[in-house]
Amino acid sequence: MLYRGSIGAISIGAMALTAALGVSGTGAGAFEDSQYPSFNGKWNRAPTPGAPRTPQPVYDPSKGWGKAQGAPLTPEYAALYEANAADQAAGGAGSTLGFTCRTIGMRGIMTLFQPMEVVVLPDTTYILIDRGNIQRRIFTDGREWPKEIEPSFIGYSIGKWIDEGGSGHYNVLEVETRGFRGPRWYDAAGILLHNDNQSVIKERIYLDTADKNLMHEDITVADHALTRPWTVNKIYRRDPSPRPLWTEEVCAEGNPWVAIGKEAYMLSSDGELMPAKKGQAPPDLRYFNQSKK
Amino acid sequence: MNCRSSIGAKSITSVSITSISIGSMSIKSLALLAALLLPGLLRPDAAQAFDQSKYPNLKGQWLRVGSPRWDDAHAPLTPEYQAIYQANLKDMREGGQGIDPTYTCLSPGMPRIMNAYDPMEVVVTPNTTHILIQHIHDGRRIFTEGRDWPKDEEATFAGYSIGKWIDTKADGHYDLLEVETRNLKGPRVYDSTGLPFHEDNATVIKERIYLDKADANLLHDDITVTDHALTRPFMANKKYSRAPEAQPVWLEAQCADGNHHVLIGKENYYVSEDGYLMPAKKDQAPPDLKYFNKR
Repeated sequence: MLYRGSIGAISIGAMALTAALGVSGTGAGAFEDSQYPSFNGKWNRAPTPGAPRTPQPVYDPSKGWGKAQGAPLTPEYAALYEANAADQAAGGAGSTLGFTCRTIGMRGIMTLFQPMEVVVLPDTTYILIDRGNIQRRIFTDGREWPKEIEPSFIGYSIGKWIDEGGSGHYNVLEVETRGFRGPRWYDAAGILLHNDNQSVIKERIYLDTADKNLMHEDITVADHALTRPWTVNKIYRRDPSPRPLWTEEVCAEGNPWVAIGKEAYMLSSDGELMPAKKGQAPPDLRYFNQSKK
Repeated sequence: MNCRSSIGAKSITSVSITSISIGSMSIKSLALLAALLLPGLLRPDAAQAFDQSKYPNLKGQWLRVGSPRWDDAHAPLTPEYQAIYQANLKDMREGGQGIDPTYTCLSPGMPRIMNAYDPMEVVVTPNTTHILIQHIHDGRRIFTEGRDWPKDEEATFAGYSIGKWIDTKADGHYDLLEVETRNLKGPRVYDSTGLPFHEDNATVIKERIYLDKADANLLHDDITVTDHALTRPFMANKKYSRAPEAQPVWLEAQCADGNHHVLIGKENYYVSEDGYLMPAKKDQAPPDLKYFNKR
């Protein structure tokens, strides 16, 4: 098994290749695409064969919605999930803040509500998802974990390219992600990650051996809201178009949800505030001069 | 002057002969060794080699130089749009948001994206140059593989950008990226003053992106806007300075996270720190609560 560092620019072969491809003293150097798997292109979420239908994309695509995901939650977080599910059943948004257009963070973003582009360069692999303006960087330059990480919803990702078959070509990208902020959810059903944000997420990203247009992502989450690590396999299908259409999704555009304090309301088609749930109280207007109404 | 297509057509062999200079190995022996190794390294489904040395080194983190503004005092607005702009400024003076839509977390769109409210990364690949900026929704793709304008593409805030790499000195290295952007949608303004674009969104934006000749850590973007709200094209030169850190910190921006602005109907309100709806302007009326069951 070879790792990126050893394949890098050290071997004579790589030196010759670099020379042959025309590195000059002033430029950034040649990047040999063929040493990496062809991750480029537009990837869409692919259904797991035989998986049950769900109202929205779910974290484990092989299983059903909500509780059917089988998340190994601690009793405390199972209770939080139940409360969230009850609120959703009553018409509310539950505990998730996706309705406010805030990202649901890692892991939920890799559920691919929108297509993903993967751009592989030697030092960084970029995962770009329009929904939420996700610009995820997986650093593959051999860096160490920084001493201080500014917490973020997508976390700080360090990756390592691996040549598992010893063929001279990388075929697996192993990624570890830390440094989170919250709250974060696995999917829109509202299964929460722990609010200590100590999650450690490991991924193995690789192309299917029989179908190069199928990408696998094995994800293992270690989190204090879980009784054991939770592993799922996600599948993405490459858009066959050489020039795929990239649609823009700006969540705030036409979003009918309004968050005021801890309450979620909706906007009617005529632009007026309305309850999201039966019997929901209107917002407190204490800061308005009511005589002006 | 060479454009991308002509440079791109050079064979690997011809490039290697013009640029090899490594240690004591001769050009011939290196080329021979490479020729022997290449077939084993290149798979049938492999993508082409990407010779980054042909492109200007745009790597790193770029920080806006100066304020994220356009020169509104000299904007050649038509009388109609000058009136719209002035009404917008009046609303802002009264505490409103004018016609700047970004307080609701709508994308700033082009060319405002290039104001670079947050640090920018320019990711150059053979077919696409990506402009990555966090802020609200400020990512762009500039397609550089020689495509034509699409016929039925959906309009977007960022628009559809086609670029062309140019080797102005004919030295085998691109030093200029020319970009044209069309197919935009609105509402868009140039900056936080609310300087408006025409509502027909027929804007055409041309850019010339290049490194400063005297300072390779200074990036220029000469932007020329043609728009029906203007009496003539409106130009700006945006500058960006490269952060010196080898591993710069990329901060995450989530506009919706902690955004206190709320749009209800056509009125913008504010949510107080203690979570109550409050007026954004003096004597602003509260929202109509007719859909609530008054108890």
